[in-house]
Amino acid sequence: MPTRKLVLGVSALSALTLLATGCSSGSGSSASGTKTITIWSSMDQPIIDGLKAKLNPQAKAQGITVQWRKVDNINQLIVQKVQANDTPDIALLPQPGIIKDLAAKGKITALDDVLDLTALGTSMTAGTLDVAKLNGKTYGLMVSMNVKGLVFYPKKAFEAAGYTAPTTLDELNTLTAKIKSDGNTPWCLGIESGTATGWPATDWFENLVLKYGGIDKYNEWISHKTKFDSALVRQAAAEFEKIAFTDGNVLGGRKAIASNAFGTAGNAMFNSKPGCYMYQQGSFITGFFPKTVQKDLDSQVGVFGLPPATAGGDNPVEGGGDTASIYKDSPAARKVMKLLAATDLGTTAAANGSSFISPHKDFPLSTYPLKTTQSIAKVAYDASGFAFDASDAMPTAVGSGTFWKDMTAWIAGQESLDAALKNIDASWPAS
Amino acid sequence: MVSQVLSTVLTVVAGIAAALAVYWVLNKLAESLPGGWESRIKPYFYVAPAVAAIGVYLVYPTVVTIIDSLKSSDSSRFVGLDNFGKLLGQPAFRQTLLNSLLWIAVVPAACIVVGLLVAALADRLAPRAEKAAKTIIFMPMAISAVGSATVWRFMYATQPAGTPQTGLLNGIVTALGHDPIPWLQQSTLHSNSLLLMVMLLWGQAGFSMVLLSAAIKGVPTETLEAARLDGAGEMLIFRRVILPQIRGTLITVFVTVLITVMKIFDVIYVTTNGAFNTNVVGLEFFNQLYTNYNYGYASAIVVMLLIAIVPIMIYQIRHFRAEESA
Repeated sequence: MPTRKLVLGVSALSALTLLATGCSSGSGSSASGTKTITIWSSMDQPIIDGLKAKLNPQAKAQGITVQWRKVDNINQLIVQKVQANDTPDIALLPQPGIIKDLAAKGKITALDDVLDLTALGTSMTAGTLDVAKLNGKTYGLMVSMNVKGLVFYPKKAFEAAGYTAPTTLDELNTLTAKIKSDGNTPWCLGIESGTATGWPATDWFENLVLKYGGIDKYNEWISHKTKFDSALVRQAAAEFEKIAFTDGNVLGGRKAIASNAFGTAGNAMFNSKPGCYMYQQGSFITGFFPKTVQKDLDSQVGVFGLPPATAGGDNPVEGGGDTASIYKDSPAARKVMKLLAATDLGTTAAANGSSFISPHKDFPLSTYPLKTTQSIAKVAYDASGFAFDASDAMPTAVGSGTFWKDMTAWIAGQESLDAALKNIDASWPAS
Repeated sequence: MVSQVLSTVLTVVAGIAAALAVYWVLNKLAESLPGGWESRIKPYFYVAPAVAAIGVYLVYPTVVTIIDSLKSSDSSRFVGLDNFGKLLGQPAFRQTLLNSLLWIAVVPAACIVVGLLVAALADRLAPRAEKAAKTIIFMPMAISAVGSATVWRFMYATQPAGTPQTGLLNGIVTALGHDPIPWLQQSTLHSNSLLLMVMLLWGQAGFSMVLLSAAIKGVPTETLEAARLDGAGEMLIFRRVILPQIRGTLITVFVTVLITVMKIFDVIYVTTNGAFNTNVVGLEFFNQLYTNYNYGYASAIVVMLLIAIVPIMIYQIRHFRAEESA
C-alpha cells in the first residue's frame, strides 16, 4: 500500500517540523548574539532616514540592531496589532489619545524608570513631555515635533503688496479685508484628506480656542469640562466663520473647502498671480508645496504664527508630534528608548532638509539648513506653552470621529453649527 | 525574512501532514471496529473535523460576538440591549441604516438589469465582437474594490473654481461654463450614495453578465425557434421564453450581489469614509471597532447585519435545494 507509506512518512516528517519550528520561533533573535528592536512609525521617509543614520550606529555599539519600518495608518494598525498580541518593540504614534487608551489597558510600559524625566523636562519644549501622561505616569516620548497654526504666504507677492504679519487676531481680520479690497483672494483653505477628511478644520478650531482661551481652558476643553456647545468654542467658530464663509475670502468659496485636498490647497499661492495670499497649516505642509517652491523655499515662502487674541498677550502654540512608546518591554527596548531621548538625535534628520523639528528647545537652531524651518522652530521654542493637537488627545470617538465628520458637515453646509456642536458633545464616550 | 518564509513553509507542510495524519488515524480506528460498525461510523469520522472547524471558526466567533453586543464598550460588563437602543437612537446611525437599505434596493437590481442587457445584446453580435464587448465589461472584475474606488475618485474629483479640474465630470461641467460641482458632497436625495453605487456596479456588472450570458446560451434553440414559428417578436420571446428558463441563474446572481452589497465597505471607505451622509453599516462597524474602540457598538452592528442576512441565506439554501432536486 504505497499511499499508506506516504501518509506515514509525511506525518513523521510533520512531527519533526513541528518540533523544529516550535524551537526556532521566539528565540531566533538572541541566538545570533545581537538583539533586534523593531520600530514602527508613519513619519516621512527623510525623517526616518535621518534619525536612523544617527541612532543605528549608537544602538549597534550596544549590540542592538534597530529595524525601522514605515507603516501607513499606524493608529489603526497598532490597535489591531495590540489585539493580536503581535506588536513591534517600539512604535511612534501621532495620536497620544491612543497611547493613553492603550496605557489604560496596560499594553504600554511607563517610561518613568526608563528615562530621566527631570532632565528631559528642562531640555524639551514645555508641555511636550506631558502629552501621553496618564495617572501621573509618562507613557510616551515625543521624538519629532510639528508646529501647527502657522500661516504661510507667498513671500515676494505678499511683501510687494505691502502686507505685514499681524500681531493680533483683529489685525488678521483687517489684513484679510485689505487683501480682498485689493481685488485678491486672501485665503486658501482645504480640509479633504481621504479617510481623515476634516482634520484640517479641527486644527483651525483648536488654534482659535487656544488663542482665545489659553492652555488651561484648552485642556478643560480636551477633557470635556468645557463643552463644544460653549461660549469659548462658539467664539472660535465665529472667527472661523468670518474667515472661511465670507464671500470672496476663500479661493473657490465655501463649497470648495470640503473637497479641496489639504496637501495641495495652498499651492495656488505660488501661481504667477497668487490665487490666495495666506494658507494656515502645520509645519509639514512645506513638503507638499510644488517642487520648484521647495527648492527655493527661503525666498518664495514666508511664515508667521497665528497671532494671539490680544497684543503681547499669552501666546501658546499648538503642535503635534510622533510619540514613542514601548509596546514590548525588554532591556534592549529600554536602551533604544534612552537613545531616542537624546537632544542631538535629530541633528542628521534636521540637516538633511526633511521637515523634522526637534522637540528639544536646547536643539541648536543653526542645525536647520533653512531660514523657514528656523523661524517655524522659533515659533515653538518661544511660545508661552505647547498644546498638543486637541483632536489627537481627545477620545478617538470624538477626536478622529465626530469632530472631523461634523466639522466637515458644517463647513459643507449640511449641518448647522448648533447641530454639529451638539452631535460632538453627544458622542463623548461615557467614562 | 528567510527564517519567516521557512517557518511559514514548514508550518503549511506540517499542517497538511497533521491533517493527513488525523484522517489516517480516524480511518484506522474505524477499521478496527467490529463488522457493520465500520461503515456506519466512518462517514461521521470523516465529517467530524470539518464540522469542528466550522464550530471553531464560525459558530464560536458568532456566539462571542452576540455576547459582546450585550456588553459595554470595552466588554467589561453586561448592559443588556443598551447598545442596540443607543445606536438606533442616533439620527446618524438611522441614516446609515437607510443608506445601507438604499444600496440593497438599488445595486443588486441594477446589476441584474445591466448584466442581462449586455448578455442579451452581446449574444446577437458576431463572435469576435461579442468576445471583445464581454471582455471590456468583465475587466473591472479583475480590479479590487479599493483600486476601482481610487480610479473612480478621478471621476468625481473637484478643484476650486478657476483652477484646472482633475475630475472628468467636473472637466466637462467647467468646459460647459459652469462652476465645478463637489459631486460626493451632494447629499440631497442621497445622490452622492448613488454616485458611489455606480462604482460598485462598474465592478460587479461583469460577474452578473458572465453568469447570465452562459444561462442565455443554455436556452435550447428549439424553444426559441418554436416561438419564432408561432410569430412571437424578439421582445416577447425574451420575456416569455428566455427569462423563465434562466430564472434560477437570475436568483443566484441577485442573492450573491445582495450579500456583497450588505457587506459593502471598501468603496465608501476609500472615497468619503462615510462623510456627507454616505455611511453604511459595514463601514460604521469598522469605525466603531478600530476608530472608537467601542466593541459593544461594533458587535451590535454585526449582530444586526447577521439578523438581516440570515433570511437571505435560508432563501438561497432552499432555492439551491429546489434547483438540485429539479
